[in-house]
Amino acid sequence: MDDKYKFIDFLGLRFNVANDLSALVAAILVFILVFSLSRKITMKPGKAQNVLEWMIDFTDGIVKSAFPDGSGSRFSLYAFVLFLFIFVSNQLGLIFQIKVDGFTYIKSPTTNPIVTMSLALVSLMLAHYYSVKKFGFGTYLSNYARPVSFLLPINLLEEFTNFLTLSLRLYGNIFAGEVLLALIGTVAKSFGLVSFVIAIPVEMIWQGFSVFIGAIQAYVFTTLSMVYISRKMEKE
Amino acid sequence: MASLLVLGAGKLALGDMLFILISFILLSLAVKHYAWGPVTKMMDARSEKISGDLDYADQERARADKLSKEREEALKNSRAEAIEIVNKAKDNGDSQKKAIVADAHSEAENVRTKAKQDAEKAKQDAMQDAQDDIANLSLEIASKVISKELNADDQKSLIDSYIKELTVNNETK
Repeated sequence: MDDKYKFIDFLGLRFNVANDLSALVAAILVFILVFSLSRKITMKPGKAQNVLEWMIDFTDGIVKSAFPDGSGSRFSLYAFVLFLFIFVSNQLGLIFQIKVDGFTYIKSPTTNPIVTMSLALVSLMLAHYYSVKKFGFGTYLSNYARPVSFLLPINLLEEFTNFLTLSLRLYGNIFAGEVLLALIGTVAKSFGLVSFVIAIPVEMIWQGFSVFIGAIQAYVFTTLSMVYISRKMEKE
Repeated sequence: MASLLVLGAGKLALGDMLFILISFILLSLAVKHYAWGPVTKMMDARSEKISGDLDYADQERARADKLSKEREEALKNSRAEAIEIVNKAKDNGDSQKKAIVADAHSEAENVRTKAKQDAEKAKQDAMQDAQDDIANLSLEIASKVISKELNADDQKSLIDSYIKELTVNNETK
């Protein structure tokens, strides 16, 4: 889209203010959500604790389906935070976008490929780290030539396609959703009241669908992260 | 997207990556400290408690089963015992009754026979007395009548024989 972003160069690094601010807002929202749900932890759970435990059970289910032998419990926290962070990030831009003087400051952080690539990188780095930790570096390298050696180039290529598909799937879905929201918004403004009235239900429908897509993509991202990690931790 | 990656004036948006990474790690730590840790701990404690409670319930049920079985057994035993006691008492009573009745019978028999014997004896005594009296009387009469000194003993035996005939005749009559 034609959004303009403010950039800050600091210590030779380039910061996109919109990305960072949105990610920060999403992280704070996740923390507020989880913090407020975990105030009274008791043996007999209250409403808030039930919600929190339901979410934990949900992400634990994702982890367990990727690690059927139950060895994935150390990734439960990662899956939980990842899922909530991506979910809140996806919904953030649907709820509000802040533009000041034509510069976007708050939006869905996942509408930017850099953000999704960072998250995918975290997942894949975890996968490689735990693979090396489990097998040792030699076996980790030889795992690329499994099950048969001529698959080596395909396995190497797969690492990159995994990274790209994991990050760009999330980015594409959320970005397309917001592009379409913006398009419907411009349609609403194009012919005055008539188009406005027509566009409102369409916008509502697409917003609801985007909430759905955001949830699905958060689920898909978390599931695939866990699958990649578990695949790196077994000999094929 | 390509512009985002390339157009950073020759700079990759590494800052964003770092920022996301750091904020994600901080978020994870905060979530772990404030929510994940306590909640998962409580969930583990709860599952432990539930399994413990289930085990305890199983044990208690087994114990209750055992107790009720024992009680039933004891009840059955006590019923059998009670029946036995009642039967015994009945038997005892019966035998005692029989013994008492038999005793009473035999005593009554004894009394009767004794009474009979007594009566017989009395009768015989009376008869004897009467015989003696009659003998003496008739002796006296005879001595007076015949005035002949008779041996008293001969006389007596003679009279006895008369009297016997007499009584025999009387009885046949």
